[in-house]
Amino acid sequence: MGIPIEDETDSLSFFFCFPTACLVGCSPAVFRALQLGTTAIGIRTSEGVVLAVEKRLTSTLLIPSSVEKIMEIDDHLGCATSGLTSDARTLVEHARVECQNHRFTYNEAFPVESCTQSICDLSLKFGEDGDEDAGGMSRPFGVALLMAGWDTVEGPRLYHTDPSGTYIKCEAKAIGSAAEVAQSTLKEKYKPDMTFKEAEKLAVETLKQVMEEKITSTNVDIASVKPTFRLYPVEEVEEIIKELTS
Amino acid sequence: MSRWSPYDLNGGTCIAIGGEGYCIVAASTRLSTGFSILTADKSMILEVNDKCLIASAGFDGDRSQLHKVLTFRSENYEHFHKKPMSCPAMAQMLGNTLYYKRFFPYYTFNLCAGLDDQGRGCVYTYDAIGSHERVGYSCQGSGKDLVQPVLDNQLKAPSILELPPKVAVTSLSQAEAIETVKIAFSAASERDIYTGDAVEIFILTPEHGVQKEILPLRRD
Repeated sequence: MGIPIEDETDSLSFFFCFPTACLVGCSPAVFRALQLGTTAIGIRTSEGVVLAVEKRLTSTLLIPSSVEKIMEIDDHLGCATSGLTSDARTLVEHARVECQNHRFTYNEAFPVESCTQSICDLSLKFGEDGDEDAGGMSRPFGVALLMAGWDTVEGPRLYHTDPSGTYIKCEAKAIGSAAEVAQSTLKEKYKPDMTFKEAEKLAVETLKQVMEEKITSTNVDIASVKPTFRLYPVEEVEEIIKELTS
Repeated sequence: MSRWSPYDLNGGTCIAIGGEGYCIVAASTRLSTGFSILTADKSMILEVNDKCLIASAGFDGDRSQLHKVLTFRSENYEHFHKKPMSCPAMAQMLGNTLYYKRFFPYYTFNLCAGLDDQGRGCVYTYDAIGSHERVGYSCQGSGKDLVQPVLDNQLKAPSILELPPKVAVTSLSQAEAIETVKIAFSAASERDIYTGDAVEIFILTPEHGVQKEILPLRRD
């Protein structure tokens, strides 16, 4: 059967070993999209979870605030995306609806793992059969997500999802084009007892290290869940970048 | 002309009191129809898990079905979310489940009671179609009009007309609350023909989980 492989290019090697290797065969474009996607980093500490993404602004005419790579799903949950933006939007929309459904029925926050599971449930619903339930896709979702959230009982959580529908719980994770390099930096520098401030610094530092352009407050986005989701305003990002260089 | 009705009234009274660090749920065990007694030991209470109980008075057929549905959904929840349902979550779900049958209601008058995430007692009281609110104590069933004034007096409920609004926090100790419940049932069984035989008293605490006591009542 499949042998899980522990290495930095986890998404691709995973698939080659599993029977669902047909995923790779029938949609190589999807996996290419993941390899070329913008880098995103997530780090979990006991004080909260931090997400940092590069926006990769391809033109000075592009308005930075319109490039949304970190999205809020609910008060206690957000995610960073890497890959096809339209696919990311579909998954986030679905997660948002599931969260509100859960609040409506149970008057409580949707547990982070359950939300991640509900997103992954969509992943394998693709194919060519005509009789499948309406809305069946012709290809897998070409996007990997870093889900960051805060559970009422279990506390801060970080999960990584990929097109195969697998999700794993992480302490620190990098996805996107520079994932390999970034992940090895994280492995080196992450400590389980890190404070949130240290993790924030590490995330942005790592991003700075792997980004092609010079890091500025408009070409990265930072968000935290401690314990509610918050996207940092430009001024705060500016502060953090200044502290790095000093 | 008597018309067939899908509903029947099977009687019985239930009480719930929530305090700091405890919750008491009690219900009579007599099942009646018309002027007859069907049985003297039918439970009105569903133990969802060690943090939440549901007591339902009214029509036993609907109570039985409702309890099965809630058990099914709470077990599913536990499998999917890998944790037991909290009492406030069950309270919301019960309200939704009842409203789902808005145009052919479950003829049950419910109390959802237990311990919240902080270990404090919580009681939610319902009407037949799911309207609910969190309160410090409540009662439902055939003897409710006899029991409610006793509880109001003993638990010193602030008037709901007061401003600013005061939340009814039950300041009785666990032992005093249990005593009040026993007195209330003894009094109700004297005047309400549908309340009698015995009372099941469930006591929920964070330290000891669910404990059960049976208080016999008059059997006439």
